[in-house]
Amino acid sequence: MIYVENLRKEFKKVVKEPGLKGSIKSFFKPKNEIITAVDDISFHVPKGEIMGFIGPNGAGKSTVIKMLTGILTPTSGKCEIGGQIPYKNRKNYVKEIGVVFGQRTQLWWDLALRETYTVLKEIYEVDNEQYKKRMAFLNEVLELDDFITSPVRTLSLGQRMRADIAASLLHSPKVLFLDEPTIGLDVVVKDNIRGAIKAINAEEQTTVILTTHDLQDVENLCDRIVMIDKGSKVFDGAIDELKSRYGQSRELRFIPADFKTAEKLDYKREFNLTDDDILVENDGHIISVKFNSDTVSVEKMLSYTLSVTHVNDINVGDADIEEIIKDIYKSGVNPSA
Amino acid sequence: MRKILRIYKPFTHAGFLLAAQYRVNFIFFIFGDILRCFINYFLWHAVFTSGGAKTFMGFSEHDMVVYIFISFLTGIVSYSDGAFAVGEEIRDGSIAMRMIKPIRFEFAFLFQELGERTMTAMIVFVPLMAGVEIYKFAATGVLGFNIWYFLVYLLSLTLSYLINFYFNVCYGYSAFVLKYLWGSNLLKDCIVGFLSGGVVPLAFMPAGLGFVLNLLPFASLTYIPVMIYLGMYDVPTILLSLGLQVFWLAFFIFLQRIIWNACVRHMSVQGG
Repeated sequence: MIYVENLRKEFKKVVKEPGLKGSIKSFFKPKNEIITAVDDISFHVPKGEIMGFIGPNGAGKSTVIKMLTGILTPTSGKCEIGGQIPYKNRKNYVKEIGVVFGQRTQLWWDLALRETYTVLKEIYEVDNEQYKKRMAFLNEVLELDDFITSPVRTLSLGQRMRADIAASLLHSPKVLFLDEPTIGLDVVVKDNIRGAIKAINAEEQTTVILTTHDLQDVENLCDRIVMIDKGSKVFDGAIDELKSRYGQSRELRFIPADFKTAEKLDYKREFNLTDDDILVENDGHIISVKFNSDTVSVEKMLSYTLSVTHVNDINVGDADIEEIIKDIYKSGVNPSA
Repeated sequence: MRKILRIYKPFTHAGFLLAAQYRVNFIFFIFGDILRCFINYFLWHAVFTSGGAKTFMGFSEHDMVVYIFISFLTGIVSYSDGAFAVGEEIRDGSIAMRMIKPIRFEFAFLFQELGERTMTAMIVFVPLMAGVEIYKFAATGVLGFNIWYFLVYLLSLTLSYLINFYFNVCYGYSAFVLKYLWGSNLLKDCIVGFLSGGVVPLAFMPAGLGFVLNLLPFASLTYIPVMIYLGMYDVPTILLSLGLQVFWLAFFIFLQRIIWNACVRHMSVQGG
């Protein structure tokens, strides 16, 4: 459905020296600097997939989205979506896609929300019957009824975002681009929006590309993630793959029935581990053991623990994707790793 | 053509609703303009009384009064906010939201503004036009209203608006380079106001300069429609002037297309 090959975007930026003198100088003799926002990115998204597009601020996510939606023209490289090249014949191309930029709105700010939909209906040439059916469906998944007659400027952020998503879906697009659709929203609305995205994806096989900083979005929605940093792709694969590649850390937490027997636990000697492999914390109530499931299996860990002590409660936590991504953002990764 | 109308009609409707939405702002805006018009009137009144002459460069005082009010009316109906609207969208990056829709960028603006213009016309046009005609009748004692001149004036006024719109959109694209247009917009409005005959009739200019100004697109904005309304032009001059207006309209539509295509390739969307 979506093919991206060696996509690259450079911006010219005027460099200003500090202070008044610098401003005057750059007014008469601007100095330009070329900035590469997106550097040689390639990926492929099959039809019906929800792809998470993540990366730290300024990584170039939005620039890629803008190129894929036909707003920006790439400096070099190719992208093709549903057989069309976005920046050529833009008018024709955008009929096939829906776009939501979480930080902007496509709704008419001063008009009742309903007016926006009637304008969109004409723009996309949706016939009356289809429009009615569509609105009923969108109403069901996004619950627009409560505020459809209010002017857009009076909507809360959560309402506005739902309305925006509905606006991008009115013409049943084949591909949906969501740039931070859950930015600034509370947990309930986030959940509502995630549910809607899932429902639409399941119902119509809509391919979805989603950028977000909320990793819950990613874990809940995405079949696959592409991670970029400083304009380059650093990871491409399923979430499980990310976890297994970058972190096998598990956390065993339990409340021992009595602490005397629990103190006999010596994981290091039992499994022949060094300090790097294991971290035991005891706060006098809960004991937490962080370990790597590559070196010691979860099963062995559990059976050893239970053979030594009785427990009131026990659980094994999954690797925390947030931790993994934080590490990657901080340290940067070797793409070939 | 019908398809275009169907797609963009909602924009006109929305523009109308928008103008209605902020009617207080709108009325103040118009009121301020009308005040300026009266100041102009008293200025010319003083010129004629102190000079003692019956006519000034071929204009009697009555002609001048009608000129002031009709050029004001023409200015306000053919006014286009295109430059600032386009410039703002480019500046804050919301132009991106227009580009993700299967619409022609300038058409969306045009039809939206047509809605706003309709609202203006409804509020200002009829009362002011009636006022001018009553003044003419009171001053000269003859009913000077000529339906043919009026209809040709309406045609010329429409052309004038379209030229103004496309000119302003072309100008608005300079936001791709200048980033912010407020200051240069003021300068532009001032210069255009002078060159279009909105301040003084172009007939008052020295012959050589007047000839050049008559050919420039700015004359098409105010001077030509007003002269037609005043009945100062004979039939060949009217046809020639309308032809000139059509030429400038085509010129700016073409120019707009070229600039847009060039800009889109080099665009960088600001913010977010």
